[in-house]
Amino acid sequence: MKTFLASVVLLVCVCAAAQDDIGPQGPAVKMAPAPLLTAVQGKSASVPLSFRVANGYHINSNKPKSEYLIPTVLKVEATTDIIIGGTTYPDGQDMSFAFAPDEKLNVYTGDFNVDVLVRPLRSVQPGKYVVRGTLKYQACDNSACYPPKQLPISFDVKIAKAPPPPRANPAQSPHAHQ
Amino acid sequence: MLFAGIRASRRNGANGSAKGQLIGGPAPDFDLQTLDGKNVKLSDYRGKAVLLNFWATYCGPCKIEMPWFVELQNEYGPQGFQIVGVAMDDASTEEIAKFAKDMNVNYPILLGKEAVGQSYGGVSVLPTTFFVGRDGKLMAREFGLQSRSVFVDHIKQAMNQGSRVQAQK
Repeated sequence: MKTFLASVVLLVCVCAAAQDDIGPQGPAVKMAPAPLLTAVQGKSASVPLSFRVANGYHINSNKPKSEYLIPTVLKVEATTDIIIGGTTYPDGQDMSFAFAPDEKLNVYTGDFNVDVLVRPLRSVQPGKYVVRGTLKYQACDNSACYPPKQLPISFDVKIAKAPPPPRANPAQSPHAHQ
Repeated sequence: MLFAGIRASRRNGANGSAKGQLIGGPAPDFDLQTLDGKNVKLSDYRGKAVLLNFWATYCGPCKIEMPWFVELQNEYGPQGFQIVGVAMDDASTEEIAKFAKDMNVNYPILLGKEAVGQSYGGVSVLPTTFFVGRDGKLMAREFGLQSRSVFVDHIKQAMNQGSRVQAQK
């Protein structure tokens, strides 16, 4: 009985403490493990990076509607041998929130993907490489906003050897016309 | 109704957590620049009740409160009440000034510093609003958007707190 009461008291204390914790518990945005991207030397390839915005939160899309809002931006660090060809963001959703019911904000909620195009140089050695970067976002919920955050991201790129260039047509044998 | 639910989980008045131990003690003083480059200390307002509002230009809920603050400054200002906005923003001074002008802000906006936020227990939620009594003591704190009536209640309490001190002056 004493153990039970102690457990109840502990639970109440934990709940009370949890109520004082403000804002997202951990990051409001998390990235799912990225699939291994296989790219051939000298050829472009794209990897979809999957992000999840925690339930109850939203972040601005890459193209928010107001100059004051902070867009979600993925910055990928260039490496010596792998060029980042660009990032493609999804369209945001136009949504209204309780704090401004007459205003539509362009946001990401739930799951969204950002595609990253990489192009390994033809000279890059075949093998596995890690590409790193950060997703900058600024989250809000229905009644508060949180300072901008930078989520570290990474994905693996496996560089495969390019097939040998096709051989030039051999000179026709003089016997071919015989 | 939705706000009421959110507020219920965020209200952190006189009986706060570890960070809330600030409440009841002297409000940490600071020295920050206004949008036009003047230096302002919180202690400059000693003898007045102060609503200290941490906000940012990117914060939608902050934008909802600002017109209320303009009205409350007009209503209670003559009775010894002052609103002070602290912009916790990466935006430029010009952008913050433009935003404040667009919102018809009639109270000082100061350019916030992380250290000042830390002295108030860390400002990780915007808006965060503190209420300082006339005696310079922190009497309440609110996280997130609140209803106008919550502000009015705290302002009235802050104006009463330390009123004897003022009367003796």
